[in-house]
Amino acid sequence: MPPQPIPTSLSWSERPGDLPRDLADRRALDRLLAEQFPEAGGRLSSLRGGRDAAETTLSRIDPRRYTKSRNHLKGAVTGLSPYIRHGVLSLAEVRDAVFQRIRSRDEGSKLINELGWRDFWQRMWRDLGDGIHDSQEELKTGHDPASYAGELPEDIRAGRTGLACMDGFQSELTSRGWLHNHARMWMAAYVVHWRKVHWKAGADWFLEHLLDGDPSSNHLSWQWVASSFSHKPYFFNKGNLERFSDGQFCRRCSSSERCPFEGSYEQLEGQLFASQGSIRDVPTRRSRNHQQRSGRQQELKGSGQAAMARPKR
Amino acid sequence: MSLQRPVIWVHEEALGSSNPALLERPNSPALFVFDTRWIQEARISRKRLGFLYESALDLPITLRKGDVVKEVIAFAERHNADGVLSSLPVDPRLERIAVSIESHCPLELLEPEPFVTMPRPPRLGRFSRYWREAEPVVWEGF
Repeated sequence: MPPQPIPTSLSWSERPGDLPRDLADRRALDRLLAEQFPEAGGRLSSLRGGRDAAETTLSRIDPRRYTKSRNHLKGAVTGLSPYIRHGVLSLAEVRDAVFQRIRSRDEGSKLINELGWRDFWQRMWRDLGDGIHDSQEELKTGHDPASYAGELPEDIRAGRTGLACMDGFQSELTSRGWLHNHARMWMAAYVVHWRKVHWKAGADWFLEHLLDGDPSSNHLSWQWVASSFSHKPYFFNKGNLERFSDGQFCRRCSSSERCPFEGSYEQLEGQLFASQGSIRDVPTRRSRNHQQRSGRQQELKGSGQAAMARPKR
Repeated sequence: MSLQRPVIWVHEEALGSSNPALLERPNSPALFVFDTRWIQEARISRKRLGFLYESALDLPITLRKGDVVKEVIAFAERHNADGVLSSLPVDPRLERIAVSIESHCPLELLEPEPFVTMPRPPRLGRFSRYWREAEPVVWEGF
């Protein structure tokens, strides 16, 4: 167990009730959190917080490889989202680090684009406020919104669906607190479209665990999958998941003979949605919640961080 | 800045050295509070708290837990502060906390360094609309 870095010392005295800053190692931190926050479940992630960990992660970014491989689970994604989310690194700092590593705009455009997504989500949050918790538009699935379950099924929460991919994602989510964006989208699509669970139940579950748990990018991305923040629902098939996960789940899946993701996009669309016509024809209708924002925020210009990109099918 | 002896409230969006309040007043007493109500209501897991804790340990700040407003006000009193300085939050929960703090004592919020400064607020709604306007400005810095 590596020791904890020596904390920055304070120039003022401590008082009773101050939480300890001097911890021998991560085991001590784990014990402290268990004692101070007994209601917070699970254990520490293998991912560490703090500036050193953030700088190490930032030093490893490779914008060129990111461009080519980002949609693959083993691709050169940056892993910076938890640090950006909590301001350990600023989005401007990451932008400048990308600029320093590229020779041409082409080499960095995908990664800069992804940082743009994070800025976009923050601006949306400023705009919508608590409205991100509400569906932004009507669903384009052809299903009654009330027909979606309000609670996450226990087999999904516990990682016992019998689907190696989804149970694998659950394990990563609950132990490490970080998932590749493509895995987030597959899981969200499975929960919402295959299991007919309301996007909010899944989105809230993700926020319990994700170290980068940003309500704006998370909730609006779940809505993007569900189709209440996009023109059509996002779904995938086995071929897509197998390709971008290098077959790591399908090879050992006990449900491979009855994979619910098997089929062409046309076949799955027919199975999952009430009518294909509805996917394309429902007009966009926004329900904004400006009235929930305080005067202070409405007068201020946005700045940003945080998000989830859109892999192609 | 009008505050002479502020304390700094560091929140969950600004646990880094680029926190504009810490940059503005590096020697002021600073505080981070684990919001126990949020942790319980949102069922925040221990690994998320650990990440926040480790990030906070890198900063010269006192760590406490409880009701954020009460803790920040008590911290300001403990240091005879004339107000509270913080960074502008995006999260409406933090915004409500800021409003409550301000009902007790002067509060100043500083805006973090932006990713992109637009000549006018961009159109949102869909990413493509926003990015059409923002992307050329971002690349001006390359």
